[in-house]
Amino acid sequence: MNQVFSIYVPGHSLMHRTPVWLKYVLMLGIMFSSIIVMQWWYSVLCLAVSMLLVLATGVGPRMGFKLSWGVYLMAGLLLAFQLFLGRPEIAVAVSVNIFAAIYASRMLTISTPESTLIDALVSGCRVLKPLGVNPETVGLAIGIMLKSIPMLMDTVGIMRQAAKARGMQSNYIMIMTPVVVRAVGYAQETGAALAARGLAE
Amino acid sequence: MISFRDVSVQVEVPVAGEPPKVKTLLSGVNLDLAERRVSIIGPNGSGKSTLLRLMNGLVEPASGQVLVEGVDTKKTKKVRKLVGFVFPDSLSQLLLSTPLDDVQLSLKAVIKDKNERRPKAMELLESRGLGHVAEQSIYDLSGGERQLAALTSILALEPKVVVADEPTTALDLKNRYIVNKVFDELEQQVIYATHDMEWAERADYTLVVSGGRIVASGNPADCVAFYKDLVFR
Repeated sequence: MNQVFSIYVPGHSLMHRTPVWLKYVLMLGIMFSSIIVMQWWYSVLCLAVSMLLVLATGVGPRMGFKLSWGVYLMAGLLLAFQLFLGRPEIAVAVSVNIFAAIYASRMLTISTPESTLIDALVSGCRVLKPLGVNPETVGLAIGIMLKSIPMLMDTVGIMRQAAKARGMQSNYIMIMTPVVVRAVGYAQETGAALAARGLAE
Repeated sequence: MISFRDVSVQVEVPVAGEPPKVKTLLSGVNLDLAERRVSIIGPNGSGKSTLLRLMNGLVEPASGQVLVEGVDTKKTKKVRKLVGFVFPDSLSQLLLSTPLDDVQLSLKAVIKDKNERRPKAMELLESRGLGHVAEQSIYDLSGGERQLAALTSILALEPKVVVADEPTTALDLKNRYIVNKVFDELEQQVIYATHDMEWAERADYTLVVSGGRIVASGNPADCVAFYKDLVFR
């Protein structure tokens, strides 16, 4: 999952120097406008812009554009589904939109430290305070979620290896059951760590 | 000073088709811990972690009372400012993706101005020799670096007591030496559970826990000898 969004890379590129609010606007603009317009040519334009933004972070095309096979699989499935429904233009737009959204979010995460990202989100969530939303809690929850994804992916990898070692690689229940058990244990330990630091009150 | 007054801890264990069974994790604990370094040794599942977690209010006693500097651990908000807790698994302990972010999170409790937090976090990490990995993913750090980063986050809260639950269990020899040394040099009172008998012997006072009871306490060398006898007899 880290490979999808990518983690912060310290630097002084154009995107590193761009204010975080503008990067959020660019990312959300690309994501939402491509969904609203839903035209293949516009989606391709959004993809081109988001790829340029990734390059503007200075990480280079190899790291900037690398994606896991799961992304291609998901885009391929959506493409096939829309083609099956007889909507080739939407098929192209939907699958291209996925890449545009990933690269737009990658531009943000590569060029912005997590604490800055979360602080900006917390500031943005302040407007929701009258509705009972605690912005600090939202920021912390997102930070913990971002930190937990690689750990869970790692656990899936370990369980896959363990199943493989016993010749049970196709038994998904055997793989996923300990993953769920470990995830629950991890969540409990994270809860205890939050409480121990006085962050759960 | 940490005091235990006739403390017991029980949990309910669910049993299919029957009412839950009550299991006693600790019973009859009476202690006054004033020494600077206290080590706790004992077999797995003996109650060491429960004993430590009582000191931070992570576990509540079923009966009796635990006091840290005179504060009842039921007052969790107050007691967690006094007691920093180090977990065995630093990956669970570190809440955010990089050491710098995690230390900044801790500093929110002590520094209100967010512009001051980042340089302070960097300063704290550099003081532990972690400046070069401050912005790296915690998944890319060595076990020792991760445990030191977790400890830096805890110390950022300026606790009076540091309680550590087997902080060096998953570390190799070199990292264990580094982390042990950092713990040994802390100004705070440190109470730690460990399976490293050499480290246990370096404490000022030792407790041996077995079967949910304190079975020996006092001079570290005598307690380690007692524990070895208990295990191998």
